[in-house]
Amino acid sequence: MAATPTPLEVRNIKKRFGDTEVLKGLSLQAQKGDVITLIGASGSGKSTFLRCMNLLEQPDDGDLIVHGEPIRFKTTKHGREPEDWKQVVQMRAKLSMVFQSFNLWAHMTLLENIIEAPIHVLKKPKKEALEHAHALLDRVGLTARANAYPAQMSGGQQQRGAIARALAMDPEVMLFDEPTSALDPELVGDVLKVMHDLAEEGRTMVVVTHEMGFARDVSSQVIYLHQGLVEEAGPPDQVLGNPQSPRLQQFLAPNY
Amino acid sequence: MIDLQGYGPRLIEGAGVTIQLAVLSLILAIILGLLTASAKMSRNWLAHRLATLYTTLIRGVPDLVLMMLFFFGGQIGVNMITDWIYYSFDIDIFININAFVAGVVTIGLIFGAYMGETFRGAFMAVDNGQIEAGKAYGMSDGLVFRRVRFPQMMRHALPGLSNNWMVLLKTTALVSVIGLSDMVRVASEASKATREPFTFMIIVALIYLLIASVSEWIFARLQKRYNIGYGEAD
Repeated sequence: MAATPTPLEVRNIKKRFGDTEVLKGLSLQAQKGDVITLIGASGSGKSTFLRCMNLLEQPDDGDLIVHGEPIRFKTTKHGREPEDWKQVVQMRAKLSMVFQSFNLWAHMTLLENIIEAPIHVLKKPKKEALEHAHALLDRVGLTARANAYPAQMSGGQQQRGAIARALAMDPEVMLFDEPTSALDPELVGDVLKVMHDLAEEGRTMVVVTHEMGFARDVSSQVIYLHQGLVEEAGPPDQVLGNPQSPRLQQFLAPNY
Repeated sequence: MIDLQGYGPRLIEGAGVTIQLAVLSLILAIILGLLTASAKMSRNWLAHRLATLYTTLIRGVPDLVLMMLFFFGGQIGVNMITDWIYYSFDIDIFININAFVAGVVTIGLIFGAYMGETFRGAFMAVDNGQIEAGKAYGMSDGLVFRRVRFPQMMRHALPGLSNNWMVLLKTTALVSVIGLSDMVRVASEASKATREPFTFMIIVALIYLLIASVSEWIFARLQKRYNIGYGEAD
């Protein structure tokens, strides 16, 4: 094993819902500091692919290796399942996810949301978790909203709060599932700016997004998915600047 | 002033029995209700079937019939087992089913079935994204339950729970038929002896009303606590 194992590697992920095969063998490797963006039309499987990375969806086939540790699977009558859920729980603590609909816990204040998993999952002392949380709140510009409940915050504030919650885990890799899709246009910028800063400080990120500007400026790699397969992949100036497939050309074309 | 003709202390004792019976039954019903709801939501075929059988059976038979079945039927069942032990192993055991325990078990079983449905609905009302966030942050199923699902479920369950509690409280009056000296039984004995039924029944009614009012206040506070973060706390 190398001195620093690859933070996240997935190989040949397949997933079907009923008769529809939504992922037909997808692979991805995120090295430290990589920002990988997944783009594609809705229904291309990009969100499902991301959710297979922390096993919120169970892939029917394929390998998942987090920080050099392969997740073990077994086959049951309900389909393929992880062999050891404890291993999955530990794996998930290394990857934190930012959701499209934020999913901050509604019965906790923003501050409580941020310290929840560090205290109960990582077993950090409360004092340390609180200090870290306050630093993160400052960083995403929400110090004044520490004691607000999610329902009292705007979508943009909730999403920045959710990013702070993700950062509190000191994650190996951050997974973003269309983080700006549920936001009003004028709130998108603040969230993208935070994500931009994270990319610049060398965070490893996998981002499902429709924000082509973000993909172009920040990504180390762009993957264009079409019907559960990788249609094109590579550095942004190649994939977005000089698309080869007609479908990607059409996807990127401005529509009025 | 109302003359209780010496029945005051016994009425208070009876009220104590009623309250103990109701609270213990409630605890049992909540535990059974949570188990039933989990079983009904699980993908385990057997657990699902058993829970469905339980709720169908309990909800389809009158409370009074169930109570007598459990008390008298239970005693016959226990006697059959102890007889068999006596003849087989020559060990003489005598177990007498205690009316209080029988009352708690019966009322707990009855209301466990109703609570099961209340909890199931409440669990289903919790947004799946809230649970997924817990999983995605490395929480085990137990931790997700304790920190996210349970507190969020309670908000939806409390109105139904408080409703069930009020009905349960009044159902305790049925235990007088199996010989337990709850306040209804004390009052009916006193009525017969003094020939002043109205005096004693009105007092019993007032005590029930008092317990109900205190519980409503407690439930209102609980509702407020579990509504935190939803901006509709009143």
